[in-house]
Amino acid sequence: MQKINRNVILALLSLTSLVFLLFQVCYYKFYLSQKNGAAFSKVRGSQSGQDSTRWHVVRKFLGLISSHNIPVYLIDPLILGLVDKDIEQIRSSPDGPSPECKYFCAPRDFTTFALLEKTWKHEVGLFRTAEKMGFQWLKIINKDPRLDGMDDLSGMEIPLHYIFKLASHAIHLVVFYERSGNFLWHGPLRLKQHMDRKFVPFRKLHFGRYPGAYEKPELLLVSIDDLKVQIPKNPSRFLEEVSHSRFLECRYREARAFFQLYSDDASLDAVEFRKKAKSLLHLAALTLNNLGVKFWLSSGTCLGWYRQCNIIPYSKDVDLGIFIRDYKADIIPAFQKAGLPLKHKFGKVEDSLELSFQGEDDVKLDIFFFYEEDDHIWNGGTQAKSGKKFKYLFPKFTLCWTEFVELKVHVPCETLQYVEANYGPEWKVPVKTWDWKSSPFNVQDNGVWPTDEWDNVIQIY
Amino acid sequence: MDEWKPNPAVKPHKKRSWYLAWKYKLMNQRALRKLCQTGAVLFLLVTVIVNIKLILDTRRAAYEEEEESAQDYDDEMLNVEVPRHPVNNKKVLDVEVYSSRSKVYVAVDGTTVLEDEAREQGRGIHVIVLNQATGHVMAKRVFDTYSPHEDEAMVLFLNMVARGRILIFTIKDEGSFHLKETAKNVLKSLGSQVAPFLSWRDMWTFVGKKGGEVYGEKHAKSPALSTWGDPVLLKTEVHLTSVEDAECHWPDTELNRRRKRFCSKVEGYGSVCSCKDPTPIEFNPDPLKDNQVFDVPVAVIAGNRPNYLYRMLRSLLSAQGVNPQMITVFIDGYYEEPMDVVELFGLSGIQHTPISIKNARVSQHYKASLTATFNLFPDAKFAVVLEEDLDISVDFFSFLSQSIHLLEEDESLYCISAWNDQGYEHTAEDPSLLYRVETMPGLGWVLRKSLYKDELEPKWPTPEKLWDWDMWMRMPEQRKGRECIIPDISRSYHFGIVGLNMNGYFHEAYFKKHKFNTVPNVQLKNVESLRKDNYETEIHRLLGEAEVLDHSKNPCEDSFVPDTEGRVYVMFIRMEQEADFTTWTQLAKCLHIWDLDVRGNHKGLWRLFRKKNHFLVVGVPASPYSSKKPSSVTPIFMEPPAKEEGAVAVPAVAAAEQT
Repeated sequence: MQKINRNVILALLSLTSLVFLLFQVCYYKFYLSQKNGAAFSKVRGSQSGQDSTRWHVVRKFLGLISSHNIPVYLIDPLILGLVDKDIEQIRSSPDGPSPECKYFCAPRDFTTFALLEKTWKHEVGLFRTAEKMGFQWLKIINKDPRLDGMDDLSGMEIPLHYIFKLASHAIHLVVFYERSGNFLWHGPLRLKQHMDRKFVPFRKLHFGRYPGAYEKPELLLVSIDDLKVQIPKNPSRFLEEVSHSRFLECRYREARAFFQLYSDDASLDAVEFRKKAKSLLHLAALTLNNLGVKFWLSSGTCLGWYRQCNIIPYSKDVDLGIFIRDYKADIIPAFQKAGLPLKHKFGKVEDSLELSFQGEDDVKLDIFFFYEEDDHIWNGGTQAKSGKKFKYLFPKFTLCWTEFVELKVHVPCETLQYVEANYGPEWKVPVKTWDWKSSPFNVQDNGVWPTDEWDNVIQIY
Repeated sequence: MDEWKPNPAVKPHKKRSWYLAWKYKLMNQRALRKLCQTGAVLFLLVTVIVNIKLILDTRRAAYEEEEESAQDYDDEMLNVEVPRHPVNNKKVLDVEVYSSRSKVYVAVDGTTVLEDEAREQGRGIHVIVLNQATGHVMAKRVFDTYSPHEDEAMVLFLNMVARGRILIFTIKDEGSFHLKETAKNVLKSLGSQVAPFLSWRDMWTFVGKKGGEVYGEKHAKSPALSTWGDPVLLKTEVHLTSVEDAECHWPDTELNRRRKRFCSKVEGYGSVCSCKDPTPIEFNPDPLKDNQVFDVPVAVIAGNRPNYLYRMLRSLLSAQGVNPQMITVFIDGYYEEPMDVVELFGLSGIQHTPISIKNARVSQHYKASLTATFNLFPDAKFAVVLEEDLDISVDFFSFLSQSIHLLEEDESLYCISAWNDQGYEHTAEDPSLLYRVETMPGLGWVLRKSLYKDELEPKWPTPEKLWDWDMWMRMPEQRKGRECIIPDISRSYHFGIVGLNMNGYFHEAYFKKHKFNTVPNVQLKNVESLRKDNYETEIHRLLGEAEVLDHSKNPCEDSFVPDTEGRVYVMFIRMEQEADFTTWTQLAKCLHIWDLDVRGNHKGLWRLFRKKNHFLVVGVPASPYSSKKPSSVTPIFMEPPAKEEGAVAVPAVAAAEQT
């Protein structure tokens, strides 16, 4: 009797667990399709099914887009990375059928495409068709930054991102806008309160954590995995751009507050100086970009951007920073060719290098070279008549893009620390009398150049 | 996740009997039984382990996701949803209407929708249109029927209102003096019993449904000419209908959805909201071949004159070669109705918080709009600037497309304008002819980005300087001797009669008779001759072939110009130095063209048409073309009449108007 009982119980239990297991498998499948959770692929692999799902979703999406004549291009870093390895082959055989699904089946949660806003007419029809095809979609809109710099204009909010979801895969469509300064901009992805936070795992998106700035890409129509799609002509360069694309908007609201406190100088002199400084900056940017030398706004020019989103009219010059590792001997001839003669050269490549070029009228272009140490970055200064050396210390920083006087330029991402290091906590208060040897907050004496080196390290033209 | 926790008591029990019987038959042997037992235990264990792992996995993943999805991606701003007003399901509206000499008001369900007690303002009949389903105010108008022609406007308006809408009328001060029979009959047809007998300084209120019942009417007669009727207060109830009844049943398309949204909010736009055969809101005019201005942004500067904006956008969107995507409407102020109009046409609109007052406000609005335009279209080299009270010619873009390269290449040009200040019905003739002029006409013009960004924007007048933007742009410091290209026959028409510096009289005198091109696809003549040096050659050629008119005759008389067609005539007037416009002003006055300040001149030369002949006027000796004057001819001098008091102020106001 006992034994029978035990058997009964055991059998009963196994039966229960069997039912239970079946239930779990069902649930698990259901969960997978809901969450497109690659998180579980290790538990139970339905890898091949998943792979083709991705390809199918991309194919459907491309069909949707082309039926509405919307030109999108692929910017997915993962796929472009794979494509880049075989770029020669892909370029040479634009129509060849591919034996296997190599790119669009690669495991991932999203496929990212870009859309140039200018080329799109904002038809509502697209979304209706998308719904009919089974896509769920999400639109992320926000303020138009191109109007942000302006007093009290309120335009319509503009679409920044779209996400189309089908089965376990999602398409992230990033909307790129043209900005003054001849570059493309995409906005940050920020969810509003009422939005579905679990629509997709947002954190895994490649684009949207920060706004980004990009060059206008040249596109190439290719066929990969039997799908015709546009990609950036040079994927590796694009991928390089992606990693340094973070964009900072100027602090327009603070700038307005600043101008309310200290009214802007609208005199003819100020207008003239700003015009000259702007064209000098444009010329400098053109010259350095052509050389491929990375630079950023430094000192007074950076302060002007950060504090008032404009050139400080009494600053007398334009200041740029360049890492010494990016120094090229061609810089001086290139500027001379551009019509900017060298005015003085202080220091040497190994120590405290500083170049000054003479712009139109009295506007001067100062280029400071920055030296990286373990825990800080510094640049040097030299007093011509005494040979005294100075050192300006900055905390470490990385570079971000911004838009300034219709130009896409770099500024330190950690701008506040940079400006505070240079100008101290009172940087918000305009100071018109400035001595480069004593006024900066971060200036340090750095000895004197040995007299025998003077001819080399102090050159005035 | 709780719902799938084991619950062994349920299903298996029922299955026990048949299952066990079957099992027992199979497993009589002990060894087999043992094996089965072990197997079952193992199976059980595996299941439990898998289960636990699964639970953990799901939990963790769910938790992670919750964490992940938000954080960095949250909007920083607290976007607390404003709770919407509870939908008013009430079927009855309480309406109060008050009419008196100095004050009128209308309250709907306790909310004041109209209140006017300003002195010397708002005289006449106030009309309010309510949506019969929602009770929302769809239109508010005041017709000063004390003055002539205002009753006609009222009739026009009332005819446009859709059937079924609720109309509320009330008189402030006086509303009968110029209320003619036609208007009274329209009011009568709406159900008013008093309207036909309304007389001097009567007070009157009326609430009724268009084409339906009357909800109430009150009237107070004025006892004597010198006094007003007693104030009247009408309190009544209005029964709302269902939303379906209040809407038209257009086919469900994207366009009609826009139309529906618009028509449920506002009234007074005529057939755009008619249920049967509504007027189109998409125009699809023919594209232009080789359109050079397809990518040029168009900025429409607007205030709160939604009916004007509606008319303007209709004509703009009907012009050949228009590109709706490049159009942005800039609205000065947070007005709803202009925005509704913009959305009706599917365009983009931007609202601007008003800065400063009067002319300076307009000026600041212009600056913001221009800056925004170049920000939004960073690629653009030009912008077309339009205003809300302009009709746009069907060949407006064709005209610009043919001439815009001049603005790009000729540094001596300031703008291209669609408006000829002197182009009246009787003084403009040739749609293919262009001029160079030293004045900036505005009223539909093209601005070069470099001019704006490098010169104008940095020194644009600040809000505290109460300057007109256009007067400022015309100042020599800005214009720097550069000229504008204009057509002989204007490509825009200024129809606004309500405006900052505008009134009916002024419009009638200076704008109504302006010539406006209605011919499509005009091929412009000899565009290259408009370049700086070419133009001088052209003028010399013209003067060379021109016949000198008989200077002994009175130039104001029609007989001054012979009854010919297609000839070129020249006359010489006295002009002592560059700024001496004494004779010109008198001549302009008698020719009934723009005489309030000097417009349309090029180096002391004016070009217009008289009796279909090209008519040149040269100022001697200031003009470099004086050399063309035969020595026998004495330049005509005309003296201004002795000035009357008060006449001095007019030109300043009028000049300001040309915005």
